[in-house]
Amino acid sequence: MKNFWINKKIKKYLSYTFLFFFILNINTFKSFSDNLEKGEAIVQQMISEAQKHAIDTINLKPSERSSKIELLIKKYVNLNFMAKATTGSFWKKASDNQKELYKNALLKQIVLSIEEHLNTLANLKYKPLTSEKRGKKLVYVRGLIEDPNKQKPNVNLLWKLAANKAGSFLILDLEIEGISLVSSQKAEAMSILRKNKGDFDVLLKDMNKD
Amino acid sequence: MTRISIFLFIKLIVILSILNGCSNTSNSFSENNDPFETLNRNVFSFNKYLDKKIISPISSAYVKKVPSKVRRGISNHLEWMDTPSTIINSVLQTDLENTFLASAKFMLNGLTLGFYDLDEGDTKIKKRDFGSTLANLNFPEGPFLMVPFLGPKTTRDFTGTVVDKQNLVTLSSDSINDLSLAEIPINLVDKRGKMQKTIDNIYLSTDPYIKIRSYYLQNRRNDIYGKEYINNKNNNLDSEFEKLLD
Repeated sequence: MKNFWINKKIKKYLSYTFLFFFILNINTFKSFSDNLEKGEAIVQQMISEAQKHAIDTINLKPSERSSKIELLIKKYVNLNFMAKATTGSFWKKASDNQKELYKNALLKQIVLSIEEHLNTLANLKYKPLTSEKRGKKLVYVRGLIEDPNKQKPNVNLLWKLAANKAGSFLILDLEIEGISLVSSQKAEAMSILRKNKGDFDVLLKDMNKD
Repeated sequence: MTRISIFLFIKLIVILSILNGCSNTSNSFSENNDPFETLNRNVFSFNKYLDKKIISPISSAYVKKVPSKVRRGISNHLEWMDTPSTIINSVLQTDLENTFLASAKFMLNGLTLGFYDLDEGDTKIKKRDFGSTLANLNFPEGPFLMVPFLGPKTTRDFTGTVVDKQNLVTLSSDSINDLSLAEIPINLVDKRGKMQKTIDNIYLSTDPYIKIRSYYLQNRRNDIYGKEYINNKNNNLDSEFEKLLD
């Protein structure tokens, strides 16, 4: 009789434990898929806005066009992260003013490279491929840029995203055919900083030269 | 003469394989393996000058004046001319699938001398050269080099380029050699035309030399080492990114 009650208790505890882990897993799985969906949606939204922007702003003055692209980048890209990631240990040594100036210079460089390709982008098609949760915070979204007329080869893109403190997903890095923009920018910035003993003013001067 | 050259080539492979046993086989990559930076920067300035004064204007005119279909035909032909190198190096890398696909495509497109891709790009062939064969044999990448006229290379890839050209000379008839020599400037103009925006964008960057070095090394390593290298690289970057997000 005693054994019967002990067995029943064990069964009860096991059932609760199982239920607890089941609910926990559902939540974790849900949060995983939520993050993936959010990441995919952000990339899709940004591409559509960039394409619309390319068509809408075609007759604007270059400066007006640039300021519109700036807004687009500020909305979707985590510039603060990119600035930190591209200057390594030197970031901590920079003053607040230098940090702000570096972020602005970085923004201008991104605008410049987008402007170069904006008109081409309007005629191309973005095809989402896969998305993947990486570690605790990161989401990878893979996609392909295709030319509907098959005149240009396909271009593989990999977006790396993470949620900021407010919970919205922002782009941390973009790899075009395996070439990371953050890694390239880091190589450039670190080379100048190393040669000049971490002097951000020299880096800023170099970045702002025409 | 041809037999002697083939014998020398086989001997080179054997020597390289033996030397490989003595080399460091760990694939550690450094972004800053550039002991000849000062010299490289001078060569880069020379190449840039040459590009701005001669190659870029010609390629711009080529892109503007020559219809895209004709340019595509020329690109296809140049790619086709490079396929034997892919076939030889796929054999050396024991990549049978790529050897078979590249050989089949080479023969099929040979019907049009490579000007028209009869396969319409459906068969994906991995481009293979002697640099990638050396990498396959675990040869270290070596220092970064900026080669006059040829642009960015690593020591290993530069060795590979020289051997590939030597192979072509050894294995082809005199008329094909003359043709491939004549095609070098066309190839240069064609490639420059395709990469016009990218190269112009690099020139606008803060340090074009470092940017071109970074682009070249990232692209080359992805091509040679494939998925395993990309996964390792991404894992390292992920942990770096997560720390910065904290």
